[in-house]
Amino acid sequence: MGLLDKLSSWMGGGGKVVTVLVLGLDNSGKTTMLRTLTTTEQEGQRQGPGASSVPTVGQRQENFQSGGVSFRAWDVSGAARLRSLWERHYRHCDAVIFVVDSADHLRLVVARSELELMLSHPDMSGRRLPLLVLANKSDAPHALSAPHVASALGLERITDKPWHVCASSALSGEGLGDGVSWLARQLREKH
Amino acid sequence: MGSMSRWLDVEAGADDININTLPTNVTFSDLQNDNEVKLIIGDFGRGDDGPRLKIFKGAMQISDLTLPDLPLGVVSFYAVDSNPRPQPVIAVAFSSSVHFYRNLKLFYKYYLPSVELNAGELDIWKQLTNPSNHNEVIILKLTESLHNMPHKVLSIQSRDFLTLTFDEQLEYLENTRELPKRRSGEIVCISSIKLSSVDKHAVSCLVLGTEDGEVIVLDSQTFTQTNVVNISPVKKTPFQIVTTGVYNVDYRITVATREKSVCLLKRDWKAGRILFNTDDHIIAIEVFTTDNSVLVICADKTFSCYNRKGRKQWSLILEHRPICLTLVPISHLGMTLSAVALVSGHVTLYDGKYPRDNIFIRGGHLLLKILKRTADFNSNSTGIESSEANISQRPWLIPKKSKLFLEQAMRERENPKAMHEAFQQELNRLRLLTAQTLLEAYRKSDNFVGAGNMEPIRLSAEVEGLGPVFVVTLIVHNTSSERAVSGLSVLFQVISTGYRVHTPYIKVPLIAPGNQLKFPIKVEEVFSENVNPDVFFRNVTGQAGDGSVIKVLLLKEGKVSPVLAATVTMPPTDPMMIPYDKLETSNFGQNISQK
Ligand SMILES: Nc1nc2c(ncn2[C@@H]2O[C@H](COP(=O)(O)OP(=O)(O)OP(=O)(O)O)[C@@H](O)[C@H]2O)c(=O)[nH]1
Ligand SMILES: [Mg+2]
Repeated sequence: MGLLDKLSSWMGGGGKVVTVLVLGLDNSGKTTMLRTLTTTEQEGQRQGPGASSVPTVGQRQENFQSGGVSFRAWDVSGAARLRSLWERHYRHCDAVIFVVDSADHLRLVVARSELELMLSHPDMSGRRLPLLVLANKSDAPHALSAPHVASALGLERITDKPWHVCASSALSGEGLGDGVSWLARQLREKH
Repeated sequence: MGSMSRWLDVEAGADDININTLPTNVTFSDLQNDNEVKLIIGDFGRGDDGPRLKIFKGAMQISDLTLPDLPLGVVSFYAVDSNPRPQPVIAVAFSSSVHFYRNLKLFYKYYLPSVELNAGELDIWKQLTNPSNHNEVIILKLTESLHNMPHKVLSIQSRDFLTLTFDEQLEYLENTRELPKRRSGEIVCISSIKLSSVDKHAVSCLVLGTEDGEVIVLDSQTFTQTNVVNISPVKKTPFQIVTTGVYNVDYRITVATREKSVCLLKRDWKAGRILFNTDDHIIAIEVFTTDNSVLVICADKTFSCYNRKGRKQWSLILEHRPICLTLVPISHLGMTLSAVALVSGHVTLYDGKYPRDNIFIRGGHLLLKILKRTADFNSNSTGIESSEANISQRPWLIPKKSKLFLEQAMRERENPKAMHEAFQQELNRLRLLTAQTLLEAYRKSDNFVGAGNMEPIRLSAEVEGLGPVFVVTLIVHNTSSERAVSGLSVLFQVISTGYRVHTPYIKVPLIAPGNQLKFPIKVEEVFSENVNPDVFFRNVTGQAGDGSVIKVLLLKEGKVSPVLAATVTMPPTDPMMIPYDKLETSNFGQNISQK
């Protein structure tokens, strides 16, 4: 860990700074989710939650805190042409949040295939980093339940990583707290 | 086979879907303007269920509209150009009219103009309806002359009349005083053509084919006829129309006819011409937008390709009767495949004449497959399992041992020693070549791991970004555990003029043992004034080509030749990030059409 990182963690009240990679297909709600997290943590410095976001090009970095852990989150674009850039971040990340649009029944198979590609990448396989799956847009009509999303993604087959799935709504913030505090707990135990 | 397949299967309950239609009644449209394409099917219905227009979002049917008659074609297009983008219009063709729907509401009906009755036919009917002519001899004579007229020009009334027996005819004439009404035209096929731009959301107008062998172009706003042309000097009946190009600039309308020929219509032509004839009845055609070559499937189980001039390029024999044909553009790979469906339920994807993939579907069902992001169609390696099963049932076609082979085997048996020696000699030559190449690399320092004096240094590079500005991070690593290195510098060498390095020369400070230093350096891809349109089709993860190589030289003070050299291959700039202001749109379009 570099000096700067140590400094910022002292300033942040002794918390750890961990790098979390936010993945998921385009339009799944990654940017919205991060915006909701950052606004609830650092009261209203940005636009309020629910303001509609534009598709991300390339990547963005966001910081937020939860459960005594400071997160440095990489929000990457989920567009098909840019998904091959995800692997650039694999080496440097400590945790993954995988966001799924649970109302997009059609592309659940695509989400599953991207998740499998990610897990089998040489920089990822065998590493015990926590994986949080957000079954997002739970408020949308026809949204599938979290267990349904978990089985559609084949999560039960993941044995080398601790994982957790929870239903969330990035727009209202519902369910995000649960998921992120699970992630913080995992990371506190590990570091 | 699951892991081998190029496709992801959507499992969302499409099982209870029961479709009964023909390929011309199936289309896609971004119906709700939400960038999500919906599947639109003009369904014939079954049994008591009448014809309906069914709209699917994914595998889920989201609406359903009763149709007045059996549909014969469904087309989706933009009728006006406005901002914000208007809703697309769905046109459903029936035999005598076209219904236009916007927002799933009927807003206009178009009828083909009726045709004046043939003078001869009218004359016969005048005599037929005259009671004084109602005796066997005259009626038979009149019926005979009616019969001798071409069936197609006759009115419905005349056609019906001819099917009656003599007694029925007599009875009919006694009750009828009316002359036949004007004959209404009949639509047989429908298509659309972009009006003045190939843009995805650009305005199109409708193109109709009629039973009388005409192609009618309708104005996009008033839905009135703007152009009527016969498809061929000799009477031919169209049944499928494929348009390419832009109506106001240059276009080709390719028409498949029931008379085993494909006709072509171009801008400013007074009538169409026959492009080529086929041996058997045509089932469907498709036209490539790039070179206007025509694909044809025929009832004799052939699948052929003709060039734009109508000359046959290749032809394949299919295993079963083909029933439909479509093009499958795979834009991110820059290729267009064609898909042929057979009565057996097999769909084969072809790249040119080479089969690349196989899919099976049961009749009446809806199957959704999503192409994997990582799929490619360069070889035949995957997805052909089902045809392999067929092959194993068929006897292998093993050719007889040829005379050439027997002679060769004989020579081998006679000269084992000479052959072994020749092989050993070649092997030694290969070893020598390897050693020479290694020595050469060492002498030119064309390697990124140091050797000899410079042993403890390693040079590596990482490229990040979407372009045109990339960040190349150079990592100079001192792997020694006791010695520090100093007096190093880095020099960039750009081979082509396509890249600009912001800081081409860097002095490297002292590196302590076991430590490494990172240098992020900006490298920009430079585009010339007229960009080759090919750059838009480059793959993001691929490589930008030969000109994309940058050499990084590590120099040591007091040494004449570089100590280390690394080669960095730059990825191509993402097409979205290319500075568009440098391109002239009109130029770009022309380049495309010349290709
Ligand atoms: N109903 C509902 N809509 C949501 C939710 N989360 C996000 N959205 C909407 O989904 C759309 C896409 O959200 P983004 O956050 O931009 O998606 P993204 O994953 O960042 O997409 P890319 O940047 O293209 O990869 C936006 O219109 C959001 O308002 C949710 O929980 N419920
Ligand atoms: Mg985003």
